[in-house]
Amino acid sequence: MADAMRAPASLAERRAPAESLGPREFLSFRLDADTYAVALAGIREIVSPPPVTEVPRAPPDIIGICSVRGLLVTVIDLRRRLRLPEAPPSRLSRILLANTEPGEVVGLFVDEVRQVVRLGASELELTANVLGGDLADHVLGVGRPDGDFVVLLDLNRIVGT
Amino acid sequence: MTDGIDKAREEFFSEAQELVESLSRNLLALDASLKRGTLDPSLVNEAFRAVHTLKGLAGLFGAKRVGALSHRLEDVLDGLRLGRLALTVEVLDLLFRAVEIYSAALAAERSKSDDPLPHLDDIIGEFGRIGSTAPAQKNTLARFELDAAMLAVLTEYEEHRLRTSVEQGLLLYRVRVDFDLATIDKALEDIKARAKVHGEVITYLPTGSATSTDTIELDLLLASSSTEEELRDSLSGERVSVAAIPVRSPASQPKATAPPERDGASRPPPLPSLVPRRGDVVSERAPIMEPPAEQAAALRAVAQTVRVDIRKLDALMNVVGELAIVKNTLGRLAERIRAEGHRQLGSELHSVQRSFDRRLGELQGGILEVRMVPLGQVFDRLARVVRQIGREMDKDIRLVITGAETEIDKLIVEELSDPLMHVVRNAIDHGIEHADERRRVGKPVAGTIALNAFQKGNHAVIEVEDDGRGIDERAILRRAVALGKVGPDDIGQLARNEILNLVFLPGLSTREEASDYSGRGVGMDVVKTNISKLGGVIDLHSETDIGTKLTITLPVTLAIVSALLVRVAGRVFAMPLTSVAEAISLNEAEIRTLDGREVTTLRGVTLPVCRLAKIFGLAPLPGSAPHRRGYIVVASLGSRRLGFAVDDLHGQQDIVIKALGKSLSRVRGFSGATELGDQRVALVLDPAALIEEMFSGEVVRERRLSHG
Repeated sequence: MADAMRAPASLAERRAPAESLGPREFLSFRLDADTYAVALAGIREIVSPPPVTEVPRAPPDIIGICSVRGLLVTVIDLRRRLRLPEAPPSRLSRILLANTEPGEVVGLFVDEVRQVVRLGASELELTANVLGGDLADHVLGVGRPDGDFVVLLDLNRIVGT
Repeated sequence: MTDGIDKAREEFFSEAQELVESLSRNLLALDASLKRGTLDPSLVNEAFRAVHTLKGLAGLFGAKRVGALSHRLEDVLDGLRLGRLALTVEVLDLLFRAVEIYSAALAAERSKSDDPLPHLDDIIGEFGRIGSTAPAQKNTLARFELDAAMLAVLTEYEEHRLRTSVEQGLLLYRVRVDFDLATIDKALEDIKARAKVHGEVITYLPTGSATSTDTIELDLLLASSSTEEELRDSLSGERVSVAAIPVRSPASQPKATAPPERDGASRPPPLPSLVPRRGDVVSERAPIMEPPAEQAAALRAVAQTVRVDIRKLDALMNVVGELAIVKNTLGRLAERIRAEGHRQLGSELHSVQRSFDRRLGELQGGILEVRMVPLGQVFDRLARVVRQIGREMDKDIRLVITGAETEIDKLIVEELSDPLMHVVRNAIDHGIEHADERRRVGKPVAGTIALNAFQKGNHAVIEVEDDGRGIDERAILRRAVALGKVGPDDIGQLARNEILNLVFLPGLSTREEASDYSGRGVGMDVVKTNISKLGGVIDLHSETDIGTKLTITLPVTLAIVSALLVRVAGRVFAMPLTSVAEAISLNEAEIRTLDGREVTTLRGVTLPVCRLAKIFGLAPLPGSAPHRRGYIVVASLGSRRLGFAVDDLHGQQDIVIKALGKSLSRVRGFSGATELGDQRVALVLDPAALIEEMFSGEVVRERRLSHG
């Protein structure tokens, strides 16, 4: 895995509504023992975690802030956001920089980046209530690439709150 | 690709805004001159020109409503400058209202909103009603032997000015000047400026005859009360000659021949002589007066100004910030090279770094300077508000402005407008008494509001002072108790300034009934919050029956600041030096607890102490060495001082403050973050917010709890 991997924004992805028939691209990653994924178009860059400065008084799921080439990034702990057990960062940990509206760059702290998966309409289950409980808010649905099982997260919900 | 169009539109809006502001300034000056009983015709003319330009721009950018308003306004101003319409307070009111409506109409056009603007239609109707009734024109011009060909080419405005001058009994002169074509612009301004001292230059026209092909001869028609000798002495020179335009003998006055109506825009080519050459005496030599330099400079400045989007300056400032990091890295490299035994190389690199540092400083200073604008920009808007509210509340208000030239960051100026507006409204509404009450207590009938600005170190201070009745402390206390902000038992224990500061609590208003202008006491807490966001503090002083003074202390710029780096529980924080008064050693033995707060004594004065590790809930990082002795960094803002207890001082550095993201916007106590180099990020403390936190109403409540 390269330290920094540019994810080209897919125009097709941006234009395609959820119901469109063409395959959609997701970036999959590991959190704890499971595989999750977010829309690839929503991620601008993947970086190895630079030193992160904690922000006192910040919400608990915000690890802190860091700088990526002069850009101030607010780093969200996805484990905490999804109520997963805590774990120290490892050498595989990465931060996914999300494309957001101007004014803030949000980084998602994940345990390991897996791959880009292309999901056809038949491999996608776009229902938020596949999984109940705390996660429902953040889940777009599930994907089944080649018999695997991937939880698709709603990037807007994660970044927006 | 609509970038080009958007950019042009943006420029239109900023130019339109400037025109409206200049219109507003002219109206204020007119208002003042109306009060003095004199009327400067050039003010009306300038206002007319601003509106005329605005109309043209609006047409170009399809801003229909702005265009419609300009069209009507132009008619009225044209009527005023041509004397068809008398300038009354009512007309002026209407003009001021037009300025307000311009802002609304521009905002609507900018957001491409089609919402109806009812005020706009109202005012257009009212402008229509004023109409223009032309006063009967006496043919006063016939007294002078003016060339009919010259009269024929005067614009309507010039003719009006000529007529008015003659009616005022002024004499007319022709000043003939021979100019070099190469320098005519400057030379013409020079002579106009010199002639203006004596009266009004009605027009200037080429004579059509010149001494050579490189020169041009102009006749200036000057109306003046000076004698021909006086004018000769002051104006005449090698290439300038002055001649009085002779008065006709009554017998030779022709029958009234009104000059033909015409459009002022076109001027025909050179004409024959303005007046007969009879009686033309050229004086041999006259002292050459120094022309007023600023006039010529102002002309050039217009051509050399560029409009810049402030975001572009922000981007440049960011680059400067990154270069500052490069500079620091260079410094460390130089140290390392020297430490590794390459003394010569190290020194050379060090001197390169120093010169880089100097140039970077200049660059930074230059960009900061570009961002600075005079506070006069806000004050002009306030002057309009003062006039409007004063009139509608039937209070005579005199506004005294000093220090309008004090400069401050453009972004701060933008944010200052609303809070200041509110403060001024409060002063007029709650502070200044009605005329009869003022008479009764022996004050001048006109209330005074003073806006003073000055620079104090790295801060700009703005004072808003009124000579009204002062703040009623008992009323404030009553309200504060009623709202549960102060316990009944605490009343006796609050110091006077603590009581005054209660007005900054949400929901507090000393007036039972709310007015349209000051609202229901939602104001002062918002004012305070907005000022705090800019890193500023407010102090309030008030004396019963004498007046109220509100002092706002603000940093001059937000972009780059010098900061003191401090270490707290193993973490580094930056504290803007602008608010640091000094740093002293922390002596735990001298810390006392007073009413639940820690304090120490500094040179005999009690200083509240805030332990950053405690209020931020910071536990020491594992593996970090325990600090041997601490420091207290004394922050001082306005009249308040607070000591921040830190573990260690970590040097001083210029930093670029970057705002924290939206998800951290609710975190209080930090104004942003900054990069220190080697990828580390430090939070920038916001001393204003922290001081606020320590001194705010929460303390009052806490105290009440500890008492109850």
